[in-house]
Amino acid sequence: MKNKLRELRAAKEWSQSDLADKLDVSRQTVNAIETEKYDPSLPLAFKVARLFKLKIEDIFELDKD
Amino acid sequence: MTRMLYSGLVMNNKPNDPEEIIPGKSYSFWTDWKVNYWAGVAWILSLAGDALLHHYPEWPVVLRAIIALSPLLAALLWVRSFARWMRGMDELHRQIQMQACLFAATATLFLFMTLHPLFKAGVFQTVGLHTNWLWDFNAWWLKILVMTAFYILGSKIFNRRYK
Repeated sequence: MKNKLRELRAAKEWSQSDLADKLDVSRQTVNAIETEKYDPSLPLAFKVARLFKLKIEDIFELDKD
Repeated sequence: MTRMLYSGLVMNNKPNDPEEIIPGKSYSFWTDWKVNYWAGVAWILSLAGDALLHHYPEWPVVLRAIIALSPLLAALLWVRSFARWMRGMDELHRQIQMQACLFAATATLFLFMTLHPLFKAGVFQTVGLHTNWLWDFNAWWLKILVMTAFYILGSKIFNRRYK
C-alpha cells in the first residue's frame, strides 16, 4: 500500500518522533509506514487521517496489482 | 497522592518498547524484571523440583505431583504478565512480538521433537552424551531456556524487517 505520510509530515515540519507521539505509536512504526514496509491497521489509519484532517483514501492508496 | 500517581500513569501513554527486554542498547533490567519475573520463578521451581523429586522418591505422590506441576502455575502467571505487557505495545511491535513468540514456540517444539527420538535411537549415547535427573530433554528448565533463546533470536530477525 502506498501512502503520503512522509510528505504530510514534512509539510507540518514534524519529526517522526513528533508524529509518533501524536499517534501514540513508536517512531519505528511511523518509519515502517512511511517506507511502506508496514500497512497500518484501520484504527491507526483513521487516527492518521483525523490528525491531518483528510480522508483515509487521500493518504493511503491500494497498489494497482 | 495515589490519585496523582494514577493520573500520572494514565497520562503516560507511551507504548511499551519490546527492545527493553532484549539484550542490546535499549535493554532495561527493571522492565525485564517486571515482565519476566514469573519466568525466572518457573525456571527455579523447575530446577528445584527436579532435584527434590530425584532425591526424595519416598515423598507422597500428591506432594510429588504438586512439586512437578508448580512450574506450570508460575509459567501461567508469566504468560499473563507477558500478555499484559504486549497489550501496552503499539500495533507494529505487537505484531513483531507475536511473530517472535510463534517462532520460539515452533522452533522449540521442533528441536525437542528432533532431539528426543535421536536420543531414543542412541545417537547421543554414541558420542558420550548421557541424560540424568538434571540434564534431560524433558526438563522444563531446559525448554524455558531454549525458548527464551529462540524468542530473542526471533525478535532480532523480525525486528530487522521493519528497520
